[in-house]
Amino acid sequence: MSAPDVAEVRRAVAAVADPELPPVTIGMLGMVHDLAVAADGRVEVVLLPTYTGCPATEMIARDVVSALDGVTGVTGVRVRFTFDPPWSADRIDDAGRRRLREFGITPPGGTVTGAARPEGRPTLPLAELPGDAASRAPRPCPYCGSTDTVLDSPFGPTPCRDVRSCHSCRQPFEAFKA
Amino acid sequence: MSGSTTHPTSAAVHAPADLGLPDLDTPRSQVLLAIADDALVTGHRAAHWTGVAPTLEEDLAFATIAQDGVNHADLWYQVLVGEDHPQRQAAVDALGLGRAPSGYRHAVLCEHEPRDFAFTLARHWVTTELEAVRLDALATSPDGAVAALAAKLRHELRYHLEHAALWVDRLVADEDAHDRFRTSLEVVLPEVAGFLEPVADEEAPDAQRVLAGGHRGLRAALHDRLATRLGSSGDGELVGLLEAVAPAGLGGRAGRHGPAFTEDVWPELTALYRADPSARW
Repeated sequence: MSAPDVAEVRRAVAAVADPELPPVTIGMLGMVHDLAVAADGRVEVVLLPTYTGCPATEMIARDVVSALDGVTGVTGVRVRFTFDPPWSADRIDDAGRRRLREFGITPPGGTVTGAARPEGRPTLPLAELPGDAASRAPRPCPYCGSTDTVLDSPFGPTPCRDVRSCHSCRQPFEAFKA
Repeated sequence: MSGSTTHPTSAAVHAPADLGLPDLDTPRSQVLLAIADDALVTGHRAAHWTGVAPTLEEDLAFATIAQDGVNHADLWYQVLVGEDHPQRQAAVDALGLGRAPSGYRHAVLCEHEPRDFAFTLARHWVTTELEAVRLDALATSPDGAVAALAAKLRHELRYHLEHAALWVDRLVADEDAHDRFRTSLEVVLPEVAGFLEPVADEEAPDAQRVLAGGHRGLRAALHDRLATRLGSSGDGELVGLLEAVAPAGLGGRAGRHGPAFTEDVWPELTALYRADPSARW
């Protein structure tokens, strides 16, 4: 049997969907750090977890194994995770950023102009505290694009996301942690 | 005298004998267990608030903190087990869930019941600051696996630090809340000494390679961080409580735990594993 085609292996791995954000692939998120294909068909994939507390990593490893199941010439798959180098949000590619926004999640980065907050608008107590820490930097609303948004809670539905809201369209949304 | 004769063993007595676990009584293992066990027990206690926290935001916050704690413990156990262990997840479960109560090396401060929300927040603030100081030190380890994990965790801990600091700001801004926070700190701060206690033979080179300076070496940086914040809200006199060592808070690094752990956390945490070590969930 001939060795698997490296480009095909790479495509199959990159196309694995994030179990918690199915429109986004691990390739788009920049989680694939390294990939080696041996002549005997064994594949080693090294992935960067986006967040250490992520319970989806085990599932992702399984999905990578089954994605490579259908690739001709692959005789075995080993998936490893490493924190060196650490994953960071600037690894998310443009397609990934677009899909995240469509999904109602703002990726980190991008230009924020910071409109003034309308008078008399109530805010949740956790949102109006001083400081310019990374997690409190405003993110544009994924629905209307306004930058008049506020962090409501640093802890969201998954470990890698926080909860924000838009003062302009009054829509709550989530942001990928930086 | 070696650590294994002066301290109870950390061996995973409830695990299958043929797992090929590393020797848990070496100085390196002991210091990694202290780090992992602090996270595991802190995470378990944080889970108390899931579904019953005072607000929805705090429900989410403590649920995430709980999940982070247990996952961080898992990752430190993985460092201890080694990357090439053939049954890595089973070995991690054996470390996290297969030891007798006296084999755990977490600080007693982590194991207390959550009591009320004031106590929860006081302990949360102090233990998160402790964790930050320790991760800063671990991130400089010459052991690549230790340093990389510590750097990643330190980056993520910003969210815990900010969350804890926001609560300190809120609590000290209200007279009643400030009183209750202060009362809780009077219990928490004298038990910090138990966190800073060394594990057995922590001065040995293989433990120093993980955490240079050991747990005692974290003291100055921790004092600075806590004193700055306490001073700014007029609670400077509480800093002295870090010297007022509470005996009840000592001994965790040597496996001496109170009933909050031996009769509450441990039985609940390990019940399924002891019933069936191969269970998956």
